Amino acid sequence: MSNSELAELAKEITDNVQRCWKCRMCVEMCPTYEGWFTQSTAGRLMAINLYIKHGLGSEEDLSNMLYSCTTCRRCQERCRILSTDCSPADTILKARQYLVRKAELKGERNHEQIP
Amino acid sequence: MSKSLKDVIPVGHIYIKDNILEKDSLAGVSESKALWAKDLNLPKKAEYTFFAACGYQHMKYVEGMMGALKSASKMGMGMGKVVGISKAFGKVGVDLTGITAKITASKDDPYTPVLISAISVLRKLGLDVGYLHEEEPCCGSPMYYAGFEDDYAEHSRKNYEIFESFGVKKLIGLVPACTASLRDYYPKYIEGYDLEVQHVLEVVVQKLKKTGVKPKVKENVKVTYHDPCQLSRYLELTDEPREILKSIEGIELADLDPEQCGKWSTCCGGGGLEATHPELAERVGVRRVEELLETGASVIVSNCPACEMQLTKVTKKLNANVKVIDLVRLLDESLE
Ligand code: SF4
Ligand code: SF4
Repeated sequence: MSNSELAELAKEITDNVQRCWKCRMCVEMCPTYEGWFTQSTAGRLMAINLYIKHGLGSEEDLSNMLYSCTTCRRCQERCRILSTDCSPADTILKARQYLVRKAELKGERNHEQIP
Repeated sequence: MSKSLKDVIPVGHIYIKDNILEKDSLAGVSESKALWAKDLNLPKKAEYTFFAACGYQHMKYVEGMMGALKSASKMGMGMGKVVGISKAFGKVGVDLTGITAKITASKDDPYTPVLISAISVLRKLGLDVGYLHEEEPCCGSPMYYAGFEDDYAEHSRKNYEIFESFGVKKLIGLVPACTASLRDYYPKYIEGYDLEVQHVLEVVVQKLKKTGVKPKVKENVKVTYHDPCQLSRYLELTDEPREILKSIEGIELADLDPEQCGKWSTCCGGGGLEATHPELAERVGVRRVEELLETGASVIVSNCPACEMQLTKVTKKLNANVKVIDLVRLLDESLE
């Protein structure tokens, strides 16, 4: 994975988010939503966009939002019917790949041991 | 500045990825995955190859693993905030390897019998099925969902070589996530991927129709069905389980409202979320079980090891007078 490949992945992700209507039809039906927008599908997409496109928000907070998604695709089903074609669940998954790749690019990977 | 892997990726996911890469098992235990099949006389070569996956066989260990990760997260971090858990491990001197050593099988193991039932059902319906035993690899899908796409892709190519070396042509999967991984994701990473992958429920429905067999339960029972996300929205199999349930004499299916079942079914919070956000996973589970209980059914039928582990745990916690049973086990008991 090179810098340009990471940039390509970033573009794919932000292009997807761009297609989101922000209709928020996915919010209430997201199983992790408990009243805070950031716990919902659309909230996750917004955070992804702010971070990848504008470098806003902390990586830890974004990670917490992304990994609290169950990848159940309930949102995606709703979104597909609205035909916005932004594949929110797959986009969240891609954003996880983005975080992994970005960290791996740092070259820490081969020395990584837990803890 | 960019952070290192363990600062941003939940340690539970890194741990599971390492288990798969190093021990070829989700739970990282070195006990054979094939023990359940030792008395079944399953050949390695047959028309269909059964893919058992880590799920049911190692589930008894996964419960322990999730428990260990949960207590570790509690030690280090506040509610739900588990991302920085590896740092916390460092601080309180928790040693993950030590935790692994302590992971033991729960005595009460409702999961392995599901595998035996699956084989039994396929045989009763006249299929020639084999199994790769020790040679069966872990499909690697938890890595995919954790964001380790490259590791997953590499793992999938290695696995394909294993399947090829045994002359596998048709796979029958049981765990929904692994079946979706083999059917829908492997082709993206493997050139010329030619394995025919079906889920056991698809095969069963076709066979039930063809053979005209009439399954029957001993005692009449009212059940409801929980669609595993991976089965309903990934494999897109929502009619098959219902057709099977309706074909069993003595079963009354009390389905949920259309917006809570089938392709709209609510997630139960089982699976990966438990490794990173255990409290949230539990709340999601409680909300789902409450929906299911409203049907008044005395049995919740499902067919995914992660869902069953979660639903069992939550129904116990809520003291609900309801049993959780795998569809394949129910079917096995209803077939002669
Ligand atoms: S349903 Fe789709 S388009 Fe609407 S807010 Fe959610 S992700 Fe965006
Ligand atoms: S896939 Fe994630 S964001 Fe979408 S509904 Fe499920 S938990 Fe919410």
